[in-house]
Amino acid sequence: MRKYLAAYGIALQNVLQRRSSLIMDRVGGVAVLASLYYFWLALMNGHKGFFGYSRAQMISYVLAINVLRSFVLTGRGWELVGDISGGRISSYLVRPMSYGGYSLSLDLAQKTVYLGSAIIEIAIFSALVRARFYVPRHWAAWLGFAAATAMSSLLFFIMEFMVSALAFWTSESGGPLFCFELFIQFAAGAFFPLDVLPKAIRHILDLSPFPYLVFFPINIYLERARPGETLRVLAIQGAWLALMLFLASRLWRRGLRSYAAEGG
Amino acid sequence: MAMPCIAVEGLTKVYETPEKEPGFLNAVRSFFSRRIRLVHAVNGLSFSIEEGELVGFLGANGAGKTTTLKMLSGLLTPTSGAATVLGHVPWRREAQLQRRFSLVLGQRSQLWWEIPAQETFRLNQAIYGIAEQDYRRNLGELVDLLDLSECLNVPVKKLSLGQRMRAELAAALLHRPSVLFLDEPTLGLDVVMQKKIRAFIKDYNARHKATILLTSHNMDDVAELCSRVVVIERGRLLYDGGLKDLVARHARHKIIRVDFAGPSPADLSSLGTVVSKGGTRAVLEVPREKVSERAAELLRRWPVEDLTIEEISVDDVVRGIFSGSERGAAA
Amino acid sequence: MTKAFSRYLRIWARMASMSLKAQMSHPLGSVGFLLGKLIRILFFFAFVIAIFRNVKTLGGYDLADMALFFLTFNLVDLGAQIFFRGIYGARRVVEDGDFDFYLVQPCSPLFRIMFATLDFLDLATALPVFVLLAMVFERLPALGLTRYALYALLTLNGVAIAMAIHVLVAGLAVRTQELENSIWVYRDLMFMGKFPIDIYGPTARWALTFVVPVAVMCTFPAKALLGLLSPGWILYSFGFCLALLAFSRRYWLNSVSRYTSTSS
Repeated sequence: MRKYLAAYGIALQNVLQRRSSLIMDRVGGVAVLASLYYFWLALMNGHKGFFGYSRAQMISYVLAINVLRSFVLTGRGWELVGDISGGRISSYLVRPMSYGGYSLSLDLAQKTVYLGSAIIEIAIFSALVRARFYVPRHWAAWLGFAAATAMSSLLFFIMEFMVSALAFWTSESGGPLFCFELFIQFAAGAFFPLDVLPKAIRHILDLSPFPYLVFFPINIYLERARPGETLRVLAIQGAWLALMLFLASRLWRRGLRSYAAEGG
Repeated sequence: MAMPCIAVEGLTKVYETPEKEPGFLNAVRSFFSRRIRLVHAVNGLSFSIEEGELVGFLGANGAGKTTTLKMLSGLLTPTSGAATVLGHVPWRREAQLQRRFSLVLGQRSQLWWEIPAQETFRLNQAIYGIAEQDYRRNLGELVDLLDLSECLNVPVKKLSLGQRMRAELAAALLHRPSVLFLDEPTLGLDVVMQKKIRAFIKDYNARHKATILLTSHNMDDVAELCSRVVVIERGRLLYDGGLKDLVARHARHKIIRVDFAGPSPADLSSLGTVVSKGGTRAVLEVPREKVSERAAELLRRWPVEDLTIEEISVDDVVRGIFSGSERGAAA
Repeated sequence: MTKAFSRYLRIWARMASMSLKAQMSHPLGSVGFLLGKLIRILFFFAFVIAIFRNVKTLGGYDLADMALFFLTFNLVDLGAQIFFRGIYGARRVVEDGDFDFYLVQPCSPLFRIMFATLDFLDLATALPVFVLLAMVFERLPALGLTRYALYALLTLNGVAIAMAIHVLVAGLAVRTQELENSIWVYRDLMFMGKFPIDIYGPTARWALTFVVPVAVMCTFPAKALLGLLSPGWILYSFGFCLALLAFSRRYWLNSVSRYTSTSS
């Protein structure tokens, strides 16, 4: 455990060290936040609510997107692709630590900084535009939101890890990864609440793990999900997580085998 | 008097590098303000090279060789000082000069990775504006000399390191440059391939009267190719002259190898530094001016089967010079 | 002059054919990228349509207007992506030292970096954009030829501004080397161009017109087509573009003179 903590500590310094990258990343995030905010504001003009969201709830959804983008939708996919196709992976494999744990430590370091930054951004932004956002009344919503976010964060990490692990078999895994990242932003609800979509598409999406990454956690925060539904969401998240973890570890072992067979 | 092909006068390059201190607090602090450190990579360097010369450019790691080559190629603008290559100031990057020289950086590639080297050759033809018949002639010659015929139509990523290096040289020489900067051209190659590349460089120099400045850590490259060397240390000129003189100046010792008729005597240290001793043989390092005296003494005191006197190798000499400077740099 | 021009044209054609061959050498990766881009366009289009099933106008614009704004954004964005795709490799070019080779060869290094790749995939994505645009044109009332000409000119003006921004980004990459994300900030800021700037708050509107010219690039052409842009703003658009182009050129030259080649 201590070695992962050490990796986390070093990675934390690294994220801060690359100052301009960090600032650029965050500025870009704020731009997306602002455009979505104003879009919904214009849409809400003269309306009480939309798709069952009150004004404050919709504004909060947009603000929450910024937080979840920073905490959930960050992973080490491109780094993994680079490590595999660049042949650096073998140098990690001989170390007495698991690669997955190591990259999770690094990812957590980035998540830490980004989450802190996202909260500051939201505070400043909502102060500037005097946004009225939704605050959950019941402590259970906070707790459910925290639990759901923690799980969805891990879920995204594992899924992205799996897509990136295609690099074991092909040098072209960048394409699928790119596609995956774009698709997931929509399918997870990281651009707009999924209620906007036609019913048929929504039902299909609900059968996939994607809405459990952003859409359902935010709904728990907005107390649009009843307590029973919150528990159901958490349970399904857990099930997806277990399944993905199982698949990922099998994929990883197979990948390493094919990597070794080709002589790295 | 004609202008030298390459003239360097008081060339200086100072880098600014942010100081990175370890520790989380320092990381946070340096997020907000950074301290800058000045590094003199090249410091008042002067030398000149005539047309057709093949000169070795030597120095320890970090001595400033690559920085100098990069200034002479126009990649970097010096902090102060002057230089001309073929009468042009390189960092103005004038096309007239660029069409007449080439830079080869070992372990760097200008070849497109996913497609055959031939494609990059064609791109260079367009870039250098090489007429079709010149292109064919030059390419034919390079393919012959570098033994490239099987590598032309294979994606570059499938070539071996040696093949890639040869294709790299071909890409750099298609426009037949009259000045060539080679940075570690044999780095990472096996001995056979090193020999091939060396033979090619020697041939190119002779055939086209090309002026070549070469850096290498491989002393065989230098010993075989360069009669003249320029040695720098921490950005300053340390030596400029013949390789033989350098060896003579720094090789204050010679090596005596003796084969005794019987077991080698127990105590030889009064004659010189004992490098090795075993059975009937011994190797001694003896100050240059004392060599004949000590050899005579050996022959007088013990029955000797055979005795040879040798120069210390170039490799050892240069390593000796650098190990001194490297210790200095580390301090 | 014409000789130099034809030489550059030849170089560009060679690089384009090389990038086509390179792209064809990894079909899986290319399909992934293509699919990702199509998903992005179609999802957003579906989103806009879904919204308009619930409202008649948004910020005073109807569905056809909104679609026009969105598609104009795509035109400008794709124009830049197709032709200046090379910029996305700028950091790699600088980091791996390829830039060293650009600098020693008798061909403008800026030209090499900007036009290193012609993106045939984006050329394919342009197709649905043109089809959708034709559908929108049909739904708009009949407009004079001058309106369409103005629209085309201002769209090209937008692409030219995008080019200037790409030059600035290339300058940054050459200057700092540690910078990875400046082009992504541009992409994120461009996100705001998906909607007409009228929906944004006054500060954002001002910034998008005078600082980050997203409005000039994406909103103004569409507004001109709808007859909502005064001659003053049209002049401003062209003036801004010229000034930015001049500035970006100076910035580039200055950056190259400060270039510190990667140590090897």
